[in-house]
Amino acid sequence: MSLFCEKLCSVLLLEHFGPIVQSVGDDLFKHGAKSLGFIRATTGLPLPKVKEALCVLLQYGFAIHRQTEKGIQYHFLPDKVITILRYPRYMFFAKKFCGDEAEMMLEEVLKRGYETASQIIIKTFHRLEQHRSEHQSSLSMLKDKFELLVKNQFLTRSICTETMDEGPAEKIECNVPDLNMQAMAQIMQGNTDDPGDNKIYWRVNLDRFEQDLRDQIMVSAITKRVDENAGELMRQLLFLMYLRTASWADTSNPIPYSEIKEAVRKINYPLLVQYLDQYLRLLEEDSSQFLKRVGDSGGGQFSINTKEAFSQLAWTTVENIVMERFGSKAARIFRLVRSRKYVEQEQIQQLAMIPAKEAKHLTYTLLQENYLQMQELKKAGASAAPTKTFFLFYIDLNQVVRMEIEHCYHALYNTIQRREQESASNKRMIDKQLRIQTLTSNLKEHGATEEQLAEIVEMMTPSEKLQLEKVQNTIKKLGGSELQIDETLFLLTMYLHYH
Amino acid sequence: MEIDPGPSEEHNVNASTEDSPEIIEQKIIALAHTKTKGISDKDILSEMPDVQPVQRALVINKLLSQGLLDLYKQDKILLYRLKDPNKVKTAKGADNEEKIVYTIIEEAGNKGIWIRDIRFKSNLMPTQLNKILKSLETKKFIKAVKSVAASKKKVYMLYNLEPDRSVTGGAWYQDQDFEAEFVDVLNQQCYRFLEQKRKETKDCRGGPIAARNITFATSREVWKFISDLGISKVKLSVDDLEMILNTLIYDGKVEKTLSNDGTYLYRAVEPLLEPPGLIKAPCGVCPVRKNCSDFGDVSPINCQYITEWLA
Repeated sequence: MSLFCEKLCSVLLLEHFGPIVQSVGDDLFKHGAKSLGFIRATTGLPLPKVKEALCVLLQYGFAIHRQTEKGIQYHFLPDKVITILRYPRYMFFAKKFCGDEAEMMLEEVLKRGYETASQIIIKTFHRLEQHRSEHQSSLSMLKDKFELLVKNQFLTRSICTETMDEGPAEKIECNVPDLNMQAMAQIMQGNTDDPGDNKIYWRVNLDRFEQDLRDQIMVSAITKRVDENAGELMRQLLFLMYLRTASWADTSNPIPYSEIKEAVRKINYPLLVQYLDQYLRLLEEDSSQFLKRVGDSGGGQFSINTKEAFSQLAWTTVENIVMERFGSKAARIFRLVRSRKYVEQEQIQQLAMIPAKEAKHLTYTLLQENYLQMQELKKAGASAAPTKTFFLFYIDLNQVVRMEIEHCYHALYNTIQRREQESASNKRMIDKQLRIQTLTSNLKEHGATEEQLAEIVEMMTPSEKLQLEKVQNTIKKLGGSELQIDETLFLLTMYLHYH
Repeated sequence: MEIDPGPSEEHNVNASTEDSPEIIEQKIIALAHTKTKGISDKDILSEMPDVQPVQRALVINKLLSQGLLDLYKQDKILLYRLKDPNKVKTAKGADNEEKIVYTIIEEAGNKGIWIRDIRFKSNLMPTQLNKILKSLETKKFIKAVKSVAASKKKVYMLYNLEPDRSVTGGAWYQDQDFEAEFVDVLNQQCYRFLEQKRKETKDCRGGPIAARNITFATSREVWKFISDLGISKVKLSVDDLEMILNTLIYDGKVEKTLSNDGTYLYRAVEPLLEPPGLIKAPCGVCPVRKNCSDFGDVSPINCQYITEWLA
């Protein structure tokens, strides 16, 4: 694991959980798995603090504990910490599939790490009451939403138990327990009652969201390449893939044509139904190779090649990065080397039709930045003189991807740092605005007059307002940038996952 | 290359000289014409039995010195062969060294040969060789051509030859300079043509496959389009244009497929992805990222690039 991955995890933990969790996380990252005592020794924190921090890490799934002969050891999971960046996208997904209430529920679970169904529902109910009193939502409606989330596998049972059972539970029951609605209503009123799901905790199924993001990338790539209909076909194919294949398999098991036809008929895409054969052939013949025809029985058997798809996507991403960083001529050279596998300098300038001097400059720049690699080829028995040696350029995609992932970590770290800096340097003003807001809403409740309210609003000078707006825009822009960088990071991580 | 008449022959010059040397000369040349593989002494003897060996030797020596005949040795028999008339012409008035250099250059054909290689092959001194080359050049037997592969490198070839593409670089070179702008313009125009075809599919009603097939264009079609545009002063061949189309493939804008009849079809394609989010951020394209750290002049806190981007 890399320096910037460590820094990024550290800064994320600091932002969301504070300095103590950060220092424990750092410690685990640096030294690998460790027991409680050692963590205390190296961090120099008091034992209760370390315990608390570990609890937080375990609760959110950022660390796991393992029983070894040296006692219980804690492992840090940096990949999981980085998923914090994707929480907004997860919530957006839940909103898209299950509606606003579901989004709120998911947010509650994400905030808590894991939670019982009754608590989630109650908390969401409270929040809904606060925000939109005009919209009536009932407990039973929320319960339905919760069940929908579970059915869509956005939530899953948390196997985190108080006892130290080793190994994952063989079969996790995913049925929503019967909730005692009356008891829940009682709790709402402030009484204590048993809603009937004590110790049945739920957490967010990150795996499922990763799959969704992955599928989203594939669908949008096909949409961009061909058209909307083909994109929708890809989505249907992915649904069919889940029915018969482990979700992270390299290629799906064959999907028969009849089933595809059935699935397509159910959705409202008349053109797709009409030209289904042709669209399948298009996807199959496209150079992106997302879909492969594996047999002819039953009108054709098709298999989705996720592994190949992500290699294509990673290539495209890297090519794009090269283009933006070094210009389109450099991207031309990069693609040329890609298609020729191993190629000499002479050939590069001839085939790319770039003036010799420029071609050399670009090739060696790419070499220097590690986008290209060089292979020396000596004739057997020939002298070691450089003129007798062939210098062949090639690309090691795996290495380039790893380098770019590092680049993403760095960019994310920098963006977060800058965002923190921006908000810290304008802290006074942001706080002031917050105070004014609370004051206004308080006074409103007490029935203050318009004049009084106006007076309070005027506590912010115009220049301050202007400045504040600027800072808020800055922070928003940086936050958006974080999400975008994370998209790239996710795609490249997916590539590594498959290769 | 004097031919010794041989000890066995008698020196009898005066006897039976009915034919003058000129006539014998004509006869031998005529004989050599009939046998392209070469004639031996025996052949001459059987054809012209009345010619005295001494006289024969004289005539042949004359012909050899004039460069009309070549002397070969095959299976220990001497053979005379008629020289190519062209070669005869050039060899006129040239000395032996010039002839050697000339043959070396001739062998190189229209690819030409570098002066250093001539020196190695001929074993001549550089100063002497320079002199010879200059004299051959002034006589317009050879010419010097600048190669595009290395601008300082001159290659020599026969005067009447058209230099090879590898030397001149074909249509893309003007006076040994690569015409980058010309290539760029062609590259853009080819793409425009293919892109135009792709746009036409928007209102195609024959289904997706038909729509895709419309976007395909053969290199000949593109070639015709470019020729009709008249942007090129030089006459371009279809092969030249395929080179341009290949650069478009390397630009990721065009795809190539093999059609049923073995020709290549080209079509414009959309990339799979939007530009990745990484490069939309200032850190994605940062030129000083390697120096970037929490402290020092380059740090995210006081980064000029981020400040400009935020502004």
